[in-house]
This record gives sequence, C-alpha cells and structure tokens, in this order.
Amino acid sequence: MELMRIENLSKVYGKGDTAVKALDNVSFSVKQGEFVAIIGPSGSGKSTLLHLLGGVDKPTDGKVFIEKTDIYGLNETQLAIFRRRQIGLIYQFYNLLPILTVEENITLPMLLDAHKVDQKHFKEIVEILGLQKRLDYLPNQLSGGQQQRVSIGRALISNPSIILADEPTGNLDSKNSKEIIDLLKLFNKTYNQTLVVITHDDRIALQADRVISIEDGTIAKDEVIRP
Amino acid sequence: MNFMKRGILGITRKKGKSLILLAVIFILGNLISGAISIQQATGNVEKTIKERLGTAATVDLDHDTLNNMPEDEWMDFEPEELGVNLIKQIGDLPYVKYYDYSMEQWMGSESIEPYQGEEMDEDFMMDEEDEIPFQLKGINYAPIIDLEEGKATLTDGRVFTDEEIENGTAVAVISENLAAENNLEVGDTFTLVNNVYSYDYDTDEEDIVASRDVVLEVIGLFDPKSVTQESDEDSESNMMFMMEDPYYQNTMYVPNEIVIDETNYNWEETLKADDELAAMMKEEGEDASFEYYEPIYYLNNPEDIEPFREEVLPLLPELYTVISATDQYERISGPMESMSKLAKYVLIVAVAATILITGLVVLLFLRDRKRELGIYLSLGEKRSKVIGQILIEVMVVAVVGITLSLFSGNLLAGQVSDTIMNSDDSNQSEYYEGVYYPELESELTTEDVMDSYEVNLDASYVLGFYGIGLLTILISTVIPLIYIVRLNPKKILM
Repeated sequence: MELMRIENLSKVYGKGDTAVKALDNVSFSVKQGEFVAIIGPSGSGKSTLLHLLGGVDKPTDGKVFIEKTDIYGLNETQLAIFRRRQIGLIYQFYNLLPILTVEENITLPMLLDAHKVDQKHFKEIVEILGLQKRLDYLPNQLSGGQQQRVSIGRALISNPSIILADEPTGNLDSKNSKEIIDLLKLFNKTYNQTLVVITHDDRIALQADRVISIEDGTIAKDEVIRP
Repeated sequence: MNFMKRGILGITRKKGKSLILLAVIFILGNLISGAISIQQATGNVEKTIKERLGTAATVDLDHDTLNNMPEDEWMDFEPEELGVNLIKQIGDLPYVKYYDYSMEQWMGSESIEPYQGEEMDEDFMMDEEDEIPFQLKGINYAPIIDLEEGKATLTDGRVFTDEEIENGTAVAVISENLAAENNLEVGDTFTLVNNVYSYDYDTDEEDIVASRDVVLEVIGLFDPKSVTQESDEDSESNMMFMMEDPYYQNTMYVPNEIVIDETNYNWEETLKADDELAAMMKEEGEDASFEYYEPIYYLNNPEDIEPFREEVLPLLPELYTVISATDQYERISGPMESMSKLAKYVLIVAVAATILITGLVVLLFLRDRKRELGIYLSLGEKRSKVIGQILIEVMVVAVVGITLSLFSGNLLAGQVSDTIMNSDDSNQSEYYEGVYYPELESELTTEDVMDSYEVNLDASYVLGFYGIGLLTILISTVIPLIYIVRLNPKKILM
C-alpha cells in the first residue's frame, strides 16, 4: 500500500543569478512499512528532500502526499498538528530539550497535543530503547547514544505512520551507530512503520529495503534491494 | 505540558541561568526601587508641608518682576488698582472656600490704653510713645476669616452681620486682653481718634492739623491664645509669639466702610492742610479718595492652588501675580528638590540600564537556547506559546528579584537620602529677601521639611515599583523575543 507520494518536487534557494536548484523535479512513492535509505554526496539535496517530506520546509514546486493528504495544502497550524501526529523526525544532533527529563522529552509531542500518554506504548518503547532507568535524567546526563535513543522514543511516541531520520548515526561511534540502526529496524518491523533514513554510510544503506541515490538535486538511482 | 509549566521548569532546572538573571534584576531593581522610594518620599514631603502651609493666597503686584525692571521703566509704571469687582470675581471661583478683602488704618485714642502684654520680651514691647497704637482691620467677610481659620477664637459676643458690613455700622470685635485692660465689655463703646498730621520739614516735627473721633461699639471679643493646638516645641514657641504679639492684641476688626471713611477723611484733611500737595494732585488729576484693598483667599485644599493660579493670572492687571502660602515651600525645600531631581535622573538611567542589560542577558540566553526553541516550533508548538514560556521564565524570576529589591532598595534609599540631605544642609540660606505677607507666612523652616522626610513602604510605592519594574523587564524581554518570532525551525535544526 502506498503511504507517501512525491510529485515533481523542486526547491530553489535564492533568486535570479544567485538561484540554486537544490531539488529538481523529483518524483517517487514509498510503501507502508518500507525502509528507504536516501544516499548522496554532501550538497546533493538529500537533507532538503527530507525536510520537504517532513513538512518542515516549503517546496518551490510539486506536491507531497502522506496517506493521501497533500501536506502543503494544509495551513500552518494544520500542518504543525499533522506533522506532530503523523511524522516522527530524528535529527543527527538529537535535538532534545535540555530542561525536560528523558520521560518528558519522549512524551512531549503528546503533551503538546494535550493528549494522554498511552502508558503501555510508552513502557514498551522505553523498554526497547533500554531507557527504563534513565527516565528522570536530563539530556546532559546522558551519552550521545542514549540521547539519540530518547529522540527515537520521541519520534515514535505518537505512533506516526512514517519516521524520517536525518543522519541519525552521524554523531555516534560505530557501536552506537549499529545499535541505533538495529533499533530503527526493529521498530520498522514491530510497528510496520515506514522508515526513511538519510545517510552517507553505505553499511546503513545496505540494510534498507530500497536505496535512492540523489545527485545534483535529482534521483540518480532508485534501487530495491529487498523486495 | 503547557507552556506555563515549561516556563517554571525552565527556571528550576536551569538554576545557574536563573540565578544570574535574578542577580541582574536584583541589582538593577535596587536602583529603580531606591529612586522611586526617594521620589515618593519627596512627593509626600511636598504634600505634607503644603498642607501645613495652608491654602491661603493673595493677589498683589509682582515685586520680583518690579525689582528687576530698569529704573526708568519702573519710575513710569503706575499700577492699575485691583477693583472690588475683580476681587469678588476671583472669590467666586470654585476653588475658593471663602475670601475677604480689607483696608487697614492705624489710630490713636485718648480714652483707652493699648494692651502692653505681660513679662514681654523687649523685642515685642510697644513703643510707649506710639500715638497710633490701634490697628483697624477692615473686613468684608462677616464671620471674620481669622476666626474661621483658627488664628483666634471668639470668646464673647458675636461676629458681624452682613448688614453691619454693608452699612459700615460702627461696631468692632476687639481682643479680650485689650477689653480687660480698659474694662470694656460687649455692648460698651469706646472712642478712637483719627488724627491728621502735617510734617514740617524745617522743624522735623509733626503737627496735628485736624482730628475727629470714631466711636465704636464692642460686639465681640477674640482671643488669639488658641492659635495652635499642636504640642511640639516649635509650635509652642510660635503660639507664645502670637499670644503675646501686642500688634495683634491691639487689632480691631471693623467693617471695611469704617476704614474707607476714615482714610478718606484723613486724605482730604491732609490735602486741605498741604496746598502744595493739593495743587500737585489736582494737576495730575488724581482722585482725592482712594480704596486699596488687600484680598485674601482661602482655597478648599492645597492642590487647588495651581489651578487657582492658572485661572486667576489671566484676569489680573499687568504686573500682578498670585502669591500663595505654599510659595514658601519653594524657599525651604532646597535639599528636597535636589534629591527629587537626583532621584528622577537615577530612575531614568536605571530604567534605561535595566532595559538594556536585561535585554542583553535575555538575548544571550535566547541565543543559547535557539535550538531548544526551534525544537518546540518544529514540533508544531505555537510561536505565541513559546513566547509565553520565555516570558514566564523571565517574569517569575523578575517578580522574585523585584520583591527582594523592593525592601533592600527602600532601605538603601533611606541611607542615601540621609547622606544627601546632611551634605546639602550647609547650602541653605535661612534668610529670605522679599515681600513679607503675614497672612501667608508660617514658621516652617527647611528643618521642618527635612524632618517630615521619611522613606517608607507604602502602597503607592509598592504598586509604583512593581509597575515600573515589571514593565521595564517586560520591555527588555519582548524586544529579544521578536528574534524568536522570526525563527525558522528548519534553519535551526538542520
């Protein structure tokens, strides 16, 4: 089942002579539960693509449908709520809130929505992430790997249909990198959540179901590794 | 988790940052608090002293301006007279509680003796040779303003009736002591003599050229003893002075018409006796009779003096001005004024410094937390709530800091103002060179002003300080917050 469809997506930064085409007429679709790796050299436009998929930035042209919703057809508030409920974002630098504990950071999207946290789901996630004993810690009391686990927990708590991860292991050593990717794969399988990971680490890319290579803002290669 | 809870967590879980902000607000708060304390205290002094100075005002030539006039201009200047109509028009203004206008005349007597006082200080002894020891004080306000204002009390008899004032009936209210000295009682009559003197420049002697008797009936007795009920030392000596003041003891209140008649008689007879003067007056076309009234107005309260002055000034003839009892405040309030000015400057500088410094501190914190704020925005939190969170973080710390500095600043203000007033003491002149208006003067000195200065914590100070303090912090937070409003979460998080 198709979960996400991208149609003729373009993004241009700047105007006139200084205009830079970061993304040029990109189209593809992603199935529910698929693990997609997006690879490419620095400046190829892969981060821009991820931000457009996540509704964080606005395209110059083209459309993004997630579960048949044209996300750029929503107004600012609707988009914010849609993003909070349907998209889990994981960043290279974790982006945790320093004044909130591990538990508060994980449950934040629910709290911002004034929704009650599903304690069973929360405990399950925390257990998988191995953070049971760290729930009252502040982010600065955790290691890099632990902080990235917290950010994965936050991305998963509202049970989104798609997880977008921007270089999630870019700031971690190889041991921690492996653990994080294993966790992401585990969630991908356990909850049948769609996972889109941006990486330039071939070892990670090779673990995906499908690899999309971006070069100069266009799709250079779109390969299904595991059908 | 709502933004308020996050705001509070921001304070408690970032203790170092909160303490720095608290310290900054506390230090600057002390400056603002001190300045407001001093301003409030000086304001209170002005109010208290002006209340003690009373609400009396008069209208007279502006002697300060006249003294500064070039001599030729001054010589040519002929002041217009204040007419009774104008005096009444001013008296009808809503600020005026009651008013009077009077003419005065001095007379002698062969039948009664002036009151000399008991065990008097030499300074106040009356001249034994004084041939005209009795002052006739004409009045138009029948209940007598001096009695209404508590300068004296009526101990026997009654005050005037409106008919007596209008008709110029020959009745008088005299002092109890003068009556006792001459065995006079209410209902008795006594005789004064209106002598007309001519001065011989060759012999340097005065001769009586005409004379007539003025027979007055005593209708009431007044006692200036109960001038003041206040018990502190200063007022006691003041009371003693008034009680033994032989001039006041020998003053007789009479209807204005009596004084006008006697003044006119005196003037006419003087002209008859002095041909040279008569010729000169005729040549200049001067009216032989003249009326010169001194008005006195008592206003409803001291705050009415300024609006009263504003309304009266345009009505007055050239070079006339309003003189009020509170004018004396300007002369005795030197140290207070300088402190009030200093406090004003400190307040302005402190508020500006607080906006600048707190603004910079908040901006630094916000720069530091750019990523954090971007995360909220990327998670779909409204900008208004992110702003609310920061405002709560800063304002809660501000309330604590301001509350602490409320007390310490007040304490500081007390110490600082003591030092300033003591150092300013030597610059004050005790002497006033100018026209003296007995009706408007009080015995208050710079010392009284300083004594009534008190820095304290009253409701208006507390409210004023919280108002100014919190508003200042609010402005200094909102300015850097504009920075957040413009944040694009994508740029922060990438």
